[in-house]
Amino acid sequence: MEDRISRIIIVGGGSAGWLSAGVIAAEHRIDSQAQQPFELLLIESPDVPTIGVGEGTWPSMRATLQRIGLSETDFIRKCSASFKQGTYFRDWQTGNGDTYSHPFTVPANYAETNLAPHWLALTDAPQFADAVTPQTALFADCLAPKQITTPEYAFMVNYAYHLDAGEFAELLRQHCTEQLGVTHVKANVLQINAAENGDIQSVTTDCAGEIAGDLFIDCTGTRSLLLGEHFKVPFQSRQAYLFNDTALATQVPYTEEDQAIQSCTQSTAQTAGWIWDIGLPTRRGIGHTYSSAHVSEDEATAQLLAYIKEIAGDKAAASVVPRKIRFQPGHRREFWHRNCVAIGMSSGFVEPLEASALVMIELAAGMIAEQLPPTREVMDIVAKRYNQKFLRHWNQIIEFLKLHYVLSARNDSPYWQDNHAATSIPEKLSEQLLLWRYRSPWHQDAEAVDELFPTASYQYILYGMGFRTEPRHTCSHQQDQRQAAELFQKNAARATQLQQALPSNRELLNKVREFGFQKL
Amino acid sequence: MSQYEVLNKDKHRQLRIKTGYGAALGDAVMYVMTYPMEFRDIQSCYPILFTKDPNTGGFFAAAVMGFEADQNLFLQDDGWDASYIPATIQRQPFLIATGGEGDTATPVVSLDRDHPRVSQDEGEALFDVEGDSTEFLNQKIALLDNLHRGLQHSNGFIDALLQHELLEQITLDIAFNDGSKNSVQGFYSIAEERLYQLKGDVLESLNQAGYLQPVFMAVASLSRMRDIIERRNRLRV
Repeated sequence: MEDRISRIIIVGGGSAGWLSAGVIAAEHRIDSQAQQPFELLLIESPDVPTIGVGEGTWPSMRATLQRIGLSETDFIRKCSASFKQGTYFRDWQTGNGDTYSHPFTVPANYAETNLAPHWLALTDAPQFADAVTPQTALFADCLAPKQITTPEYAFMVNYAYHLDAGEFAELLRQHCTEQLGVTHVKANVLQINAAENGDIQSVTTDCAGEIAGDLFIDCTGTRSLLLGEHFKVPFQSRQAYLFNDTALATQVPYTEEDQAIQSCTQSTAQTAGWIWDIGLPTRRGIGHTYSSAHVSEDEATAQLLAYIKEIAGDKAAASVVPRKIRFQPGHRREFWHRNCVAIGMSSGFVEPLEASALVMIELAAGMIAEQLPPTREVMDIVAKRYNQKFLRHWNQIIEFLKLHYVLSARNDSPYWQDNHAATSIPEKLSEQLLLWRYRSPWHQDAEAVDELFPTASYQYILYGMGFRTEPRHTCSHQQDQRQAAELFQKNAARATQLQQALPSNRELLNKVREFGFQKL
Repeated sequence: MSQYEVLNKDKHRQLRIKTGYGAALGDAVMYVMTYPMEFRDIQSCYPILFTKDPNTGGFFAAAVMGFEADQNLFLQDDGWDASYIPATIQRQPFLIATGGEGDTATPVVSLDRDHPRVSQDEGEALFDVEGDSTEFLNQKIALLDNLHRGLQHSNGFIDALLQHELLEQITLDIAFNDGSKNSVQGFYSIAEERLYQLKGDVLESLNQAGYLQPVFMAVASLSRMRDIIERRNRLRV
């Protein structure tokens, strides 16, 4: 059969290229004995350096790594990884030192009980997240989500990772080429060659000749060499909703060797953006992402340095040379066109608030691995579904990120004022906010089973930022009342228990380095 | 708290060690570490399960004596009711410490000064008037020597179990006669189904390393579980 899809070409390495290669190769086992021949080649430019910034993931990364066949011990040791249990927001509500958390553990008994209305009815209540999950009680003391006796990838409270993206790509490369049969071609793509029907037939490289394939995956970053440059699929800016278009990224060493490693990504709002602070075992990755229309680079740099000065002292701030990254928030109009699909920054990019970049790669690679069209004939159907699904993902990302800005009561700069302008709010988000005044988000608010942000995350952001939903005295609410009180109580008890049982992140990471996790 | 000191005939000349068994002597423990070379004796009295060292996450074999922390169902008013006492109990309050590092590491006999068996005036002497070690101490040193070799052999045994995926997690859900229930977690047993699927070359390599017999002894030891459940049922709560 001539139109069998058996040869996949990934153009571009990095986290996007290698993670996609790993997920797809692990599913389709490149094996010369297999009945269906299958080949996966990754073409990586030897001239493009990898960028070693710290990055955050979602808990889905645990399942992804397991699926690829990596041991968690190896991953933690080789990628300077630490445990991430959520995001800790500072100065987002008023800018006066206010804080709240968005933990990864869903509220207690979330499948059956919606605790939000019961929490709203409490007088003198703790913060929403503190009331409904024991996880946030671990943040102040920088505690780990598990013990050294907990098997790899298992947890006591749900977690994801902070990792070094450069080291991560390198570990994946090694695993893909040594264990999963992926062919690594080090070459620059010079030219893209079209087939008669308009598909990509092959790419011409500088030192590996012409490479033909059935499906091309574009992981070339913002350049979008295949989907953007070759197929001219237009880019759709979403800057009308999300203003941030610049980042100043840097690394800051710990002031002491044994300094605590934070359990969460720290996100501190500024006058025209926010500063991320990601604790790896070896250093902190810190950066300021902001709207260049609302603040000058000098002022943004000054804010970043002031933050670093506060957490690491004058000396650390003085030696910082931030790297400037410009980006256009938005995505391609479609992501899978003919026999080419873009994954990673080649498909789109928005500010790293809520760490959507790596999880989007996991979702994309996961869907391609699962739905890989066996023939060219069915590829257009898969592509159509893929485009619908990923447009929905992008819309949700934009709405969910915008939610953080819309709920803010900050009014201290044009940036925050503009963020409240009706024209800057996606229509669907406006509708949701209206609806949620009378009913808190819960399972019915999820539009699909594979939504990127679960409904619990909306609860954490809404009620973390002081949003109020009017009480409704329905039958189920009355019936659940006693159970809710019990859940609040149990939660507090569990928090105390976990605080006593769990080691600090630093302590556990040191043990992982020394002993490793058991597989069972 | 424990306070470990390398055994020294001048420093410890006057010390005595209380013998016998009892909660006051530190014997009220739910399980103790054991090792394959001891399995033959252990399995005649105690179920052998596997659990993790809370400090390293590493697995070790355990002789189980109770269903909750500090519960040793073999302890009775007049001693320890079993025909064999695990070596890790018999050796108390002594242990092997390792002096030096790497190739120069030498095992040295140490003791825990704060152990309840350590006394100034009661029990067996360690040294005689000439300062020579007593028969009692010599026996303990011989025991420690066995224990030390046994634990070293055990490391390879555990590695082999993990390599061949021969451990599986178990939860002991036990209902006692008095109506109480206990769910004991954190233990692992030999994965019998996988054990019976092992092929000839693997079985041969396990056998040559001295690991095969203890695997089957650990399997057989689980019938001792009935005995400790009965002991628990006889307890007057």
